[in-house]
Amino acid sequence: MTNDVIIIGAGPAGLSAAITCAKHGMNVVVIDEYYKPGGRLLGQLYEEPDGSWWNGIKESDKLYNQAINSGVQLKLSVPVINIERQGTEWNVFTNMETLQANNLLVATGAAESPAPVPGWTLPGVMSVGAAQVMTNVQRVKPGEKGIIIGVNVLSAAIAQELKLANISVESMTLPKINSMNHDYAIPKNVVNSLLHVSHLSPSPIIKIGSNLMKYKLINKLALKFYPNKGIKMWDIPIQLKKAVTQIYGTDKVEGVTIANVDDYGQIIPKSEKSIEVDFVCISGGLYPLAELAAIAGCPFYMIEELGGYVPLHNERMETPLSGLFVAGNITGIEGAKVAAAQGTVAGLSIVNNTLNSAFEFELEEAIKQVRIIREENPIQFHPHIQNGRKKMQKYWNEYFANNQESFII
Amino acid sequence: MSQRIKYHPLLEDYKDGKNITFIFNSEEYIGIEGDTIASALLVNGIRTLRYHEETGTPHGLYCNIGQCFECRVNVNHQQGVRACITPIEDGMVIKSQDVLPTPVKDWREKHDK
Amino acid sequence: MSDKSMIICRCEEVTYEELIETAEKHKCSARELKLRTRAGMGYCGGRTCRNMVESIPRQYLPNKEQLGLVTLKYQPPIRPVHFGDLGGDET
Ligand SMILES: Cc1cc2nc3c(=O)[nH]c(=O)nc-3n(C[C@H](O)[C@H](O)[C@H](O)COP(=O)(O)OP(=O)(O)OC[C@H]3O[C@@H](n4cnc5c(N)ncnc54)[C@H](O)[C@@H]3O)c2cc1C
Ligand code: FES
Repeated sequence: MTNDVIIIGAGPAGLSAAITCAKHGMNVVVIDEYYKPGGRLLGQLYEEPDGSWWNGIKESDKLYNQAINSGVQLKLSVPVINIERQGTEWNVFTNMETLQANNLLVATGAAESPAPVPGWTLPGVMSVGAAQVMTNVQRVKPGEKGIIIGVNVLSAAIAQELKLANISVESMTLPKINSMNHDYAIPKNVVNSLLHVSHLSPSPIIKIGSNLMKYKLINKLALKFYPNKGIKMWDIPIQLKKAVTQIYGTDKVEGVTIANVDDYGQIIPKSEKSIEVDFVCISGGLYPLAELAAIAGCPFYMIEELGGYVPLHNERMETPLSGLFVAGNITGIEGAKVAAAQGTVAGLSIVNNTLNSAFEFELEEAIKQVRIIREENPIQFHPHIQNGRKKMQKYWNEYFANNQESFII
Repeated sequence: MSQRIKYHPLLEDYKDGKNITFIFNSEEYIGIEGDTIASALLVNGIRTLRYHEETGTPHGLYCNIGQCFECRVNVNHQQGVRACITPIEDGMVIKSQDVLPTPVKDWREKHDK
Repeated sequence: MSDKSMIICRCEEVTYEELIETAEKHKCSARELKLRTRAGMGYCGGRTCRNMVESIPRQYLPNKEQLGLVTLKYQPPIRPVHFGDLGGDET
C-alpha cells in the first residue's frame, strides 16, 4: 500500500509534521530506530527564562499522544537503511520491509561531534549526550564522578542535568590541542564563542558568559583575568585554562591527566596532574545528521552557522527533489522548539502541495512562527544562526536561477 | 557499580518495573523492565560490551542513541545489535563480540585480489 | 598513550598519526584519505569521525575555499543489514 506521507524520525520535527498531516486527513507513517518516541527531546531538562522547567519527557509524551490521537502510525525500533525514488514515489527501505509514499520527510536530527583525547576509546568515556540520556531517560548514573571535556552550550546544559541527578562532576574543561580542534581547544576561541551567546537570556552558558563579562574589561583581557581554578557554575568549575591531555585506565576509565594551558592552548610544562574519575564525557558540538538526504541525491552546502553540511532547502522545508522534505536539526542545529515549528511547516507544505495550494495562508503563518520562535529561543547553539538561515535561502535562490527547471523529478 | 536514580528533584520518581533476568557472557544478571541492554549492564557494573575484532581492546557504550555502533553485541545469535537502543527482555542471551579468529584484514589481504 | 597514537576512527582504530602522515604524504582528498586508511569506513559508516577525517586534508590543501555546493558521498545501506533481516528468517 502507498502511504500519503512517510516521516523518518520521531523527534519534535517529525512528530509535529505527522500531527499536522494527519489532522488534514492524510495517512501518515512515522519510522524511528529508537525504542521511544521523542528523539533527542527525551533527554532535555533546562530552565526557561520564566523560571519554569522544560521537561523533554513530558513534551515528548504530549507530542506522542497527539500523534496517536490524530491517527498517525508509529513504527519504533525500525532503522531506515536506504531511500530511493521510483517514478512519483519514494521507496523507504527498513531492515524489515519496504514502504512507499508520495511524500517523504527526513527529520533525522543531529549527531554529536567528538572532542577526542588520547585514551577516549576506554569504556567509561562517552559523548555528553550519552550521559544525558543515561541519566534522564534510563535513570542510571553514568558513573560516580566524572569530568566533562569540551565547554559549549550543550555540555553546559548537560553538566547541570548531571548535577540535578546528584552525580558529581569534577569540572568542565578543554581537550588537549591538536590540528583538528582549534575551535574548541584554544581558550581564546572558546571564550569568544561563549561571549557571543551572552546577550541571550538565562540559558546555562549565558551564566558562564555573563560571569565572563565581569572579566571582559576589554575582550582580550577576559582570558588574562580568568582564574586558573575556573569560574563555578552550579558548583562545577569551568576551567578554560586547563586541558585534559590523557584519559587513563587498564580496561575502563580510572582517571585523567589535566594540565594548565596558555591562551593559545599550549601545555604549560610540568603543570600536569592526575584526577581520579570513573567516567568522562566529551563534547565537540552537534552536526546535522543528513545521510539519508545525501543518499537521495540532495545537493549540500557547508554552512558553519548551521553546524556543517546541510541539504539544500527553502523556508517551506522543500528540497529540490520533488516530494522530499526536510525539517528539524537536519536543516541546522537549533533547539527543540524550532525543530517542532519547522515540522509544522513541513507538514503544511505537504498538505498544501497535495491539496492544490489550499493552505497557502496557513503555511505562510507557520513560517513566520518559526522565525518568532527562533528569536525567542533561550537555547541557541550558534550565535549567528540567522545568518546561516539567510545563506541557505540565498543558495536556494541561486540554485533555481541556475537550474531553469523547477524541481528535480 | 552505577546506581539507579530513583528520586529526582524535577523528573518523576523512577518506577521500579518488573525484574528481568538475562544472560551476558554466560553469567546471569537482573535488570528492570524499561532498561536497555546497555543500562541494565551498567547498573550491574559492566562497562565493556565488546572487544575490538582485530586488536581486542575493550569498547563500551559511547553515544547511547544508536549512532556510533560501539555498543554492538550478539543477542540470541543475532549479530550487531545495538545495546543502547534495544530494550532488555526476559531470557535474552547476550554475548560480547570477541577478537575474530581470522582478522578481517588478513582475510582481505588474501582474498581481495 | 601519546597524541600520535590517539585513535580517530573508533571502528577501524585508525590513529591520528596515520591520518596526518597519509594526508601529508599524498596531499589527498578526504575521500582518498578514507580509502587509504579505512578511517570512516567501518561499521558505523563514519558518523563519529567523519568531520575530523574531513578536516585533516583541508589543512594540507592549498585551496581552502571549496566549501560551497557538494554532493555528499554516502553509501546505502546506512545501517548494517544482516542476512536474517532481509530473508525474514533467523540465521
Ligand atoms: C545527544 C543530543 C543531545 C541534545 N540535547 C539538547 C538539549 O539538551 N537541549 C536542546 O535544546 N537541544 C538538544 N539537542 C538538539 C536536538 O537535536 C534538538 O533539540 C531537537 O531534538 C531536534 O529535533 P529533530 O526532530 O530535528 O531531531 P531528533 O530529536 O534528533 O529526532 C530524530 C530522530 O530520528 C531518528 N533517526 C535518525 N536516523 C534514523 C534512521 N536512519 N532510521 C530511523 N530513525 C532514524 C532518531 O532515532 C531520532 O529519534 C541535542 C541533540 C543531540 C544529538
Ligand atoms: S552507544 Fe552508540 S550505538 Fe549504542
